[in-house]
Amino acid sequence: MNGTVVRNQLIFDFASGILGPAKSLFASTYLELNSDASKISSTFENMLGENLMDNENIHPKNLKYTDCMNNENIKSASNLKDPVTSFFGNLNNLKWKQVYKGFREFTATINDKDELKLIKMDPGVSVPLHSHGGKEYILVLEGSFCDEYGKYSRGDIQINDQKIKHTPIASKDTGCICLSITEKDVIFFGKYGSFLNLFTFIKSFFK
Amino acid sequence: MEKSNLNNLMKRIQKDRDEMAFSQIFDFFAPKVNAYFIQNRIKFESSEELTQEVLSTVWVKSNLYDSTKSALSTWIFTIARNKKIDFLRKNSKINFKEEDIREFLYQDREIDINEENEAKKQIERINNELDEQQKIMIKMNFFENKSHKKIADELEIPLGTVKSRIRHILTKMQEFLR
Repeated sequence: MNGTVVRNQLIFDFASGILGPAKSLFASTYLELNSDASKISSTFENMLGENLMDNENIHPKNLKYTDCMNNENIKSASNLKDPVTSFFGNLNNLKWKQVYKGFREFTATINDKDELKLIKMDPGVSVPLHSHGGKEYILVLEGSFCDEYGKYSRGDIQINDQKIKHTPIASKDTGCICLSITEKDVIFFGKYGSFLNLFTFIKSFFK
Repeated sequence: MEKSNLNNLMKRIQKDRDEMAFSQIFDFFAPKVNAYFIQNRIKFESSEELTQEVLSTVWVKSNLYDSTKSALSTWIFTIARNKKIDFLRKNSKINFKEEDIREFLYQDREIDINEENEAKKQIERINNELDEQQKIMIKMNFFENKSHKKIADELEIPLGTVKSRIRHILTKMQEFLR
């Protein structure tokens, strides 16, 4: 599938509200950081708003309009603004886990199944050639990285599937921090492949 | 209802806090918003609460609506959509991974430390030499993210034993990887 198609699908699924918590957080951060994506989302929302006009009516049983005028519980703002910080807290205070030198991760598990991961790479650090068992979504929050397919900076998204093999390298000046969702394990290739796949292998023993 | 009609009602709310105008907006949108939640598999009790929150936002925050930027139905749709996302997140179980087994295995090494065959042998050794209970404990600790306390409860063994056994297994695994 074409990358733009997959990206638009993600935006559309977010706009319509069908995504689970992990992907919602990912997508809303993307829309915060990327004005093009945000414009696409607005187009979808206009369409979905039109649909709401024609939606069926299921009348609330115990709700009158006056109940909505004395409601003290309306929060000051939705926490969809700066979703990463409101979810993870200040990134500088996280207990990052060092996977190998210069490469750190911090992982949140949602409902025991979805994983939302922050990745921090020191300047110039690379990830050996690898591919993905399922789709992988990466959003750059700070700094930049590049790989065989291009350069990705703050607000850029990369969606990889099984067909993609790549060797990302963090910018020599800034390093990078990314938010990622990986549907299945990463598969490494080359000289150090087995060593880096250790985690995946070990995990499989324990299933 | 006509769009222009809805816009006029919204203007009356924004300018004059007109309650009758709000009651008409409510009558038009509340059943549609409620239906949106139910279509998204939210139970009736919750859908009604969420509908209340959406329509309350329309009343309390009416000044945030800008008719030059979007249709009223779009604004209300996005409020409902965001409420649904907040609702799902609030009802999710979120765990931050406290420990990552790779920290023990890779130990801050440069990645170019192993030849391919060597690594394969090491992995096999880990698989062969750990017994079933050891595997279960590693699984619970690192892949199910359970605390030592929880593991102790589930396996019905003392907390101190869990801690020392996991430490022992990790040391053993590290030896295999040397």
